[in-house]
Amino acid sequence: MKETKLLTRWVGKYEPLDLKGYEAHGGLAALKRALAMGPESIIEEIKRAGLVGRGGAGFPTGPKWAMVAGEKQGQKYLICNAEEGEIGTFKDKVLLDGDPWMVLEGILIAACAVGAEKTYIYINGEYDQTVELWESLVVEARKAGLLGDNILGSKISLDLQVVKSKGLYITGEEFALISSLEMRRAASRLKPPYPTEKGLFGRPTVVNNVETLANVPVILAEGVEAYRKLGVADEPGTRLFSLSGDVKKSGVYELEIGSGTLAEFINEFGRGTASGRPIKTVQPGGGTSRFLARDSLKCKLTAKDIRQAGSGIGTAGVIVYEEGKRAVDIVKELMEFYGFESCGRCAPCRIGVVRMKEIIDKVFQGEGTNEDLEQLRQIGKACVAVSTCGMGQAFPLPILSALELFPQDFEAAIEKVSE
Amino acid sequence: MKTFNIQTYKNLIKEVGGLTVENSFLFLGKVQETFGCVPREVVRDVAMKTGFSEARIYGALTSYRDFKVGRE
Repeated sequence: MKETKLLTRWVGKYEPLDLKGYEAHGGLAALKRALAMGPESIIEEIKRAGLVGRGGAGFPTGPKWAMVAGEKQGQKYLICNAEEGEIGTFKDKVLLDGDPWMVLEGILIAACAVGAEKTYIYINGEYDQTVELWESLVVEARKAGLLGDNILGSKISLDLQVVKSKGLYITGEEFALISSLEMRRAASRLKPPYPTEKGLFGRPTVVNNVETLANVPVILAEGVEAYRKLGVADEPGTRLFSLSGDVKKSGVYELEIGSGTLAEFINEFGRGTASGRPIKTVQPGGGTSRFLARDSLKCKLTAKDIRQAGSGIGTAGVIVYEEGKRAVDIVKELMEFYGFESCGRCAPCRIGVVRMKEIIDKVFQGEGTNEDLEQLRQIGKACVAVSTCGMGQAFPLPILSALELFPQDFEAAIEKVSE
Repeated sequence: MKTFNIQTYKNLIKEVGGLTVENSFLFLGKVQETFGCVPREVVRDVAMKTGFSEARIYGALTSYRDFKVGRE
């Protein structure tokens, strides 16, 4: 098993603000090709390449663009979502810092394809230096004629605004992000209408993850056939996996989709667990994905196989927990974060998150009862079933799966009181 | 961090290329970072220039962790 460097091929190869260096490696070829091709053919290529969103939901990118491009009149917006607040995920930062021009190129091509004149990049508030870098990058891009009126001599005018997120996890959700730019509280909304129909200021809006947009220039430069050779038939290309938790070597690794199994990935790139004890459980898709037991780690690294194993690939943030950690502690740690992040838009999440946190704290302190665990299950299931946005539907999943996979841990935590 | 003064504030507006509905969130972020808070007169000024109500801006800002709104 080895890394396939496609998106990260130029990361760190040139100074971040050096456009000439980027061009020397072959950059901007995709943008020039895209400007010559015209919007319809770009969307057609992306559709043929079978690119799906890398932000967690996994929505196909081509059809999403086609929906917005179909609206011919008036203002349209494009937002690059670099909020990346998910626990255990730090892949976008590698691209934003290491190869920013490629991300910018992706944004420009996407904006040309959908006909958006105003674009935003919404960067996580904790990435201070990244925001500074991008502000300088925009100035450089304006000088080079990549942003502003008539970019590279074409008829297209574009503007990019760098927005720094203001410290809420929920702004990673597309409607919450849109709300914040509209000067409202960051809160999700009922769907439909989707952002592609009524997004920012009521206009059609495309919201794409950084990694998704970084794929775009690669596809146009390398060609669809070459791109589809990588990965599996339903999921072509590569994916950036962030590996963290109890491993010897954490980091971001780019792998061909389906090139190996989860266990191989953890053992070869993470070099095994930190203390050498066996793996207890793994979250393959960031902090809100279900836990996988040790025996289900033989699944291949594709969204489909991980789903069949009982979890989801999500943002591809692999978090490893080693033997000797109690499930109660892991879940408590997760809820320390999610417990304060509900936006309050819908009741099941607003109330559920607080109640679940209370119960888990109670169990953690050894004061829980069997009824508490039953209540935890019920609230969790209700939350997953009726919440409006991804956060409410996802944060109970690790708790529910922990209750399923490691009932002995919870029972042990309860038994202490009854003695 | 600077104390609020009108010249720095005007320069900030110039930096973002004029205050509009579309960049108001970004602009207030810059105000917060420059002065350590968003003074109430700024809220009023942004409300006047963008057409958002003062209540909407105040309500939005106070819901974010990294914003502080100055006292009257």
